[in-house]
Amino acid sequence: MGPRTQFAKAAPEAKEQRRLAGAWLKQLRGRAGLSQIELAGRLGLKYYTFISQVENGFGRVPTESMETWARALGVKPSTFARQLLSYYDPELHRILFEVRQ
Amino acid sequence: MKVVAFSAWWRRTAGGWTRAELNQVVASLAPSFENGGASGWEVGVTETGDPQLYLLGPAPDHECILCVSRLGSLYVLEDGAGRVLFEHDSLRALAETVKAVLRNKKAAIVARATLAWFVVREAFAEKVEAMLGESEELLVHFAPQLAALA
Repeated sequence: MGPRTQFAKAAPEAKEQRRLAGAWLKQLRGRAGLSQIELAGRLGLKYYTFISQVENGFGRVPTESMETWARALGVKPSTFARQLLSYYDPELHRILFEVRQ
Repeated sequence: MKVVAFSAWWRRTAGGWTRAELNQVVASLAPSFENGGASGWEVGVTETGDPQLYLLGPAPDHECILCVSRLGSLYVLEDGAGRVLFEHDSLRALAETVKAVLRNKKAAIVARATLAWFVVREAFAEKVEAMLGESEELLVHFAPQLAALA
């Protein structure tokens, strides 16, 4: 029997991946010595509530603002985007970056 | 007799929301559950303990589509991309805005579906017209020859 293809992410998986991404972002923010309010300020956001939404695993960092987030957190934008892609779209990340053993 | 501050405890519920707040906000979300635009809601708190309520979109992602936060006495409504849609200290105004936003979301979906239907119909009509035009041309071309043969 050939390999099975799964077309849709299972709900708990997507949710869990977002939660992991949130935890990673929180860790980065901590390392940068920023509060949610300070990070929101650096991102030009009026409120810091979106930072919390993302860190709690309910929202995602929008693609168009990934570079700004990366710079605010002191991370190389490409590394930041690549790591987030591994959480938000693991299958695409695998196709793009998986190293053949 | 010592009176226990029960009412304060009772008023505060999940994640720092009061029962009245939750009732009103969740009631305003109800239509989106009925029409499948949302799959549920969850509560959380910010780093500084401000309560948040997340309206979750449909499966499989269940991603936040609307987020309500209370900062002091101010209610802030944002979409899933962090755009601020509303900020006010009135719970009633918040609930009305949530309803309106969800109505607009549904209207936008219906508008997109209608547009897609018209595009498909238009493309289909164009193809059929072209085919009919071609066969008409063929008929005009061959009909005299067929008539001559008959």
